[in-house]
Amino acid sequence: MNGARWLPIAACLLALAVLAMAPAVVSPFMTQFLINLFMLAVLAESWNIVGGFTGYASFGNVAFFGVGAYTTGILLTKSGWPLALALPAAGALAMLFAALVGMPILRLKGHYFAIATLGVAETMREVVYNLEITGAGTGLVMPIARTPLLFFYVMLAILVAATLTNWWLSRSRFGYGLVAIREDEDAAAAMGIHTARYKTLAFALSGAFAGLAGGVFAYWITFIDPDGVFKVTMTIQMIIMAVFGGAGTIFGPLLGALVLASVSELLSTQLVTLAEVFNGLVVILVVLFMPKGLSDVIRRRSFRLRDVARNFREYRI
Amino acid sequence: MPILEARLVTKKFGGLAAVSDISFDLGEGEILGLIGPNGSGKTTLVNVICGALPRTAGNVRFKGGELMGLPTHEISRLGVSRTFQVVKPFRNLTVLENVMVGALFGKTGGARDLGTARREAEAVLEFVALAHRARAQADGLNVPERKRMELARALAMRPTVLFLDEVMAGLNSAEIDAAVALIKKIRGRGVSLIVIEHVMKAIRSLSDRIMVLFHGEKLTEGPPDDVLNNPEVVAAYLGRRYAERARA
Repeated sequence: MNGARWLPIAACLLALAVLAMAPAVVSPFMTQFLINLFMLAVLAESWNIVGGFTGYASFGNVAFFGVGAYTTGILLTKSGWPLALALPAAGALAMLFAALVGMPILRLKGHYFAIATLGVAETMREVVYNLEITGAGTGLVMPIARTPLLFFYVMLAILVAATLTNWWLSRSRFGYGLVAIREDEDAAAAMGIHTARYKTLAFALSGAFAGLAGGVFAYWITFIDPDGVFKVTMTIQMIIMAVFGGAGTIFGPLLGALVLASVSELLSTQLVTLAEVFNGLVVILVVLFMPKGLSDVIRRRSFRLRDVARNFREYRI
Repeated sequence: MPILEARLVTKKFGGLAAVSDISFDLGEGEILGLIGPNGSGKTTLVNVICGALPRTAGNVRFKGGELMGLPTHEISRLGVSRTFQVVKPFRNLTVLENVMVGALFGKTGGARDLGTARREAEAVLEFVALAHRARAQADGLNVPERKRMELARALAMRPTVLFLDEVMAGLNSAEIDAAVALIKKIRGRGVSLIVIEHVMKAIRSLSDRIMVLFHGEKLTEGPPDDVLNNPEVVAAYLGRRYAERARA
């Protein structure tokens, strides 16, 4: 065992400890911001499993978030379950939903897959709009939680789990299978990878984390309605965060969430529309100048024009 | 008993029969050369046997068990591997990682953890003389290196039967000699091979038997010298007029 190997782990644990103590020190407003940041980071890491590792650009991951939010919502309000039971149920149901939806649509590739996932999310919004148990268009109002700090720690725990899952993917047989599918699905199958099963499992895993985030979100924000939790822009946000930070990496999505959430928070206090413009600008700049994300630039400690030119050539921009 | 038996394998694309009624046996430890002009159905035959394309008719038995109808990944898990004529590297991975995927998956009973897979992959890269490029990204390889990596990935899968689809295309004379020696070494490990190749010098020195496809049908099959001197084979490759002149 050498020091260099333990350094990153020690740094992570330290960062985690600092984060865990944050609510005692920072303002309540800052605590709320951190909860939101954790949630966005969970969503980015969740998207990363299917979009980054497996290479399937899902435009419908918000559907899993919404399924999780409504599962918790219904169980809390209609069935009177405690969060400790409602939240695992939200994750499980979102996972199951993702697996069932994934089986047919993961046969599609590229644009067709993207459009199908987009359709799933929109369909779910319409379905929820028209169901009685979900409160239809009026939505659901949660009971008031007496312990606001609960959200902070639960969301942080989910984020840790999501990040560890991505870390595991980067160094496991399963993760190698997913990456092989991303790189060349025909070759992956020819090498003995059960591509349909692997893709479905990745989708389900991604759905589980998005569902858990949605579950906490519902209770935290106290009110959910179809337009709020099945927002297409939320999926777009996940994609931007993951791609900006570095899709297919462990810390890229975290980094993306941190940078983008901070900047958009700062901007939105000034001018709301500016935040939207910023998001759009980020997409364009990232695609042009650092297609492997911010984490790649940091890792290599270089940002040279030569790399940009190479990117232009390779992607024929 | 042959390790692989193909019987009346047919593949039609609409009304066009790309492969029709092909039957052949592959003996254990044998190298069967598969030749034929462009478009004669060689790659299609491999695609059908390896499950990449559904057959129209016919049967293929591997160690007595039926392969047809099985999905690609199950066929490779049984121990039938192939390389792709148009190589399909995992571009963003290193050479070592590419080969590790073969070791992690491939024939059932392989490495389950990355450490074992890495050691196996390193051994295979050593075997195909590509160890010095292990850390390079697959994207940055030149043509002969890409072909070698494709071969290494297939070998890492621990195949019993291996299809090599034009692994020598684009290689120079010295590289071809190296490839021939390598393929003989692979057979020495007890692998049975079907080798598709246009390089006649290589196919003649490698093959125990040669099978010739022409317009999707089996033209002939036999020992290399007989097959390569067969006027019909010469005609198929070089045109009837050339064959007549050669005979005269």
